[in-house]
Amino acid sequence: MAGGRLQTYDPAGDNVRRFLELLAGRLTRPLTVSLTACVHCGLCAESCHYFLARPDDPTMTPVWKADQIRKVFKRHIDWTGRILPWWVKAGSVHDDEDLNRLKNIVFGSCSACRRCTYNCPMGVDTGLLVRFTRGLLTELGVVPEGVFNVSRDQWETGNQMAVSEQDYLETLEWMRDEVRAELGDDKVDIPIDRPDCDILYTINPREIKFDPRPIAQAAKIFHVAGESWTLPRWGWDQTNFGLFSGDDRLGAWVARNVYEAAERLRAKRIVISECGHGYRSTRWEGYTWAGFDQRVPTESVVVTLKRHLDQGRISVDPSRNAEGVTFHDSCNIARSGDLVEEPRDVLRRVCSDFREMTPNRRENYCCTGGGGLLSMAEYRPLRLEVAKIKAEQLRATGAKYVCTMCHNCIDGLNDVIKHYKLPMKVVQVLELVSKALVLPEKGGRG
Amino acid sequence: MPFIEIEGRRIEINEEGFLARPEEWTEETARLLAKAEEGLDDLTESHWAVVKFIRDYYLEKNLAPMVRKMCQATGFTLTQIYDLFPSGPAKGACKVAGLPKPDGCV
Amino acid sequence: MSDMLRLIENEVQLAALAFLGLVYIVRLIWIFRFASRKERTFAAGSQGAGIRRSLANIAMPWAMESTRKDPWLYAQFVVFHLGVAAAIAATFIIPYAPHVFEIRAVVLLFQAVIGAAFLAGVLRLVRRLVNPVLRLISSADDYVSLVLMILFFAAGFLAVPNDIDRAEWPLIAFFGLTAFFLVYVPFSKISHYLYYPFTRFYLGRTLGHRGAIPQGTRPMSPGKDNERTSRPKGDPR
Repeated sequence: MAGGRLQTYDPAGDNVRRFLELLAGRLTRPLTVSLTACVHCGLCAESCHYFLARPDDPTMTPVWKADQIRKVFKRHIDWTGRILPWWVKAGSVHDDEDLNRLKNIVFGSCSACRRCTYNCPMGVDTGLLVRFTRGLLTELGVVPEGVFNVSRDQWETGNQMAVSEQDYLETLEWMRDEVRAELGDDKVDIPIDRPDCDILYTINPREIKFDPRPIAQAAKIFHVAGESWTLPRWGWDQTNFGLFSGDDRLGAWVARNVYEAAERLRAKRIVISECGHGYRSTRWEGYTWAGFDQRVPTESVVVTLKRHLDQGRISVDPSRNAEGVTFHDSCNIARSGDLVEEPRDVLRRVCSDFREMTPNRRENYCCTGGGGLLSMAEYRPLRLEVAKIKAEQLRATGAKYVCTMCHNCIDGLNDVIKHYKLPMKVVQVLELVSKALVLPEKGGRG
Repeated sequence: MPFIEIEGRRIEINEEGFLARPEEWTEETARLLAKAEEGLDDLTESHWAVVKFIRDYYLEKNLAPMVRKMCQATGFTLTQIYDLFPSGPAKGACKVAGLPKPDGCV
Repeated sequence: MSDMLRLIENEVQLAALAFLGLVYIVRLIWIFRFASRKERTFAAGSQGAGIRRSLANIAMPWAMESTRKDPWLYAQFVVFHLGVAAAIAATFIIPYAPHVFEIRAVVLLFQAVIGAAFLAGVLRLVRRLVNPVLRLISSADDYVSLVLMILFFAAGFLAVPNDIDRAEWPLIAFFGLTAFFLVYVPFSKISHYLYYPFTRFYLGRTLGHRGAIPQGTRPMSPGKDNERTSRPKGDPR
């Protein structure tokens, strides 16, 4: 369908020249000013969990990582560095080995969490620079194998786990039957491609392939709330590896599939299941990548749940979630998106012991698996080493559960919990709401 | 190459904690991986049913099966699969069955 | 007053200033030639509020963890830049409003501010030389710019009494440095003040539009419907 658009590495190609051409051609104004404005004050260093965990290694600081692309910009685009490169530490990439080194920095030692961006006095967006650099390398096929494989699957099948349409539909039927059995109600449905619904529900392929429980939870809650909803037959993957690989074309294509599904089915709203990068991609970045003007509200399922609670369409009993729950803000939602208080509002209503971790909200630390790092096996040892910052933060809450509205964070946090032997479990908002849901008496709404 | 050492045996794993060479899997490796990675002291018949299905599926299709296929083939519910393998089908059951790490957000 | 001092206080300054202005105009044209993308999503916050908050960040040390954790560093930043403002003001006061520096209190005030900035500059230089992170990332431009500023403060401290009868050399040094700065600055990191409004504008626009900043003031997504969402605004370009 979209094969051939993913670049493979060509060892005989003139990769350095291509890299420099791409760099010059893709610069935007926000990027250019972020490249010129850094004053090397070093204040970003301690905002980065990589440096906090490795305080003796200056190459773990956001400024050093950003400088690796900044120096190329200075050498080839900016003024002083073109004439007096040594004066401003400008430098170029000379061979594929240099490109590979750059790859290991922007993919391997940064989760693009944007925590440094919020801590830069100059407003330099290092997160943006890292994604930009990743995109240049992706164009040359200089990418970690995992990123390549997942991008390929997403290009070829429209979803990042290469789930076939048959498997997709059968899993949805299976979950429908599970909810029917649980509620003893044959009217429960998981509609596919139903036109004119209030909600077009889009999910993470992980929910089909390995853990469909959130689909059942959403179906149950939507049923009780009397929601008019559907999943699309095509365009159901709200995740987007284009965000991680920096490939705007992949980003555009995957996001457009979702937007066009909503148009085709005349859905009044796009709802995104709990996924941090999927939310950021589909709600915010995707419209820009795709050059698609937003026409219908696009929201996280957590906002949908909040609406159900606000309108009294579902009732909940917080005593069913009696043990301590803390909330982990996903970087892509809290720092690159808008939802900070909404999940907390829901959690306070469905849990009886909600507690904040410190720092929290927009200052929270990354789960350490962000930026696609979960799919890059080669960087796992470093990722788990620097996760000690996250582990300490989690441990200090004393909570039994850490809730997050991001599939990626689930796996990232599970790795941290396992590696550092924390007595905790990861849950999602849907799971807690589903547990607290008070089912209406039979014969009521159906 | 990282490894885990258990009961005096050394099992080479990759960075993700998955078996380094999936083709070298044996039932003994499965038992040791389950103990080291999933904290399971003993693999019951139910565990074996899941593990063997995954293993056969992988050898045939070179692919991790969807969780739905695991449930269909073994007759277990999703909850039971999670009870058997606390890390879930991908990072738990597939790992014990000696599969490489599945691609994507897992 | 010697001819040399008169020349360096007037014609040389104006020529250098004109050069700086010219380079900055070219620089701004250069920046504007890079495209900025159009926003196509419904807003969850306000671009204007985000931009204002982002630009005001400089005066809000409590807003960032990095400055909140290290108020001493923020204090140095403030003193250093007040010194810059005072020294630049002095370069105009001395030739065009010399009577101001006939008031002893004003001179003492300027000397206090510029002197404090000198000390802050020295502390910043020590930090840059001692901190391994800064040592690794610092370029010649980073060091030279800072050393020049420290010298500039020292010369300014001595020049503001504007007592040419006692000695002209502090004034010649001060204005000589100023002229050199005006020519050097556009090619150096010292021009960061030219970029600050840009980085802050774009970051504030994006994050403000998304409702990520200002923090804590955005109403929660309403429970009913997000009709509040406005149509995407055109690119303010």
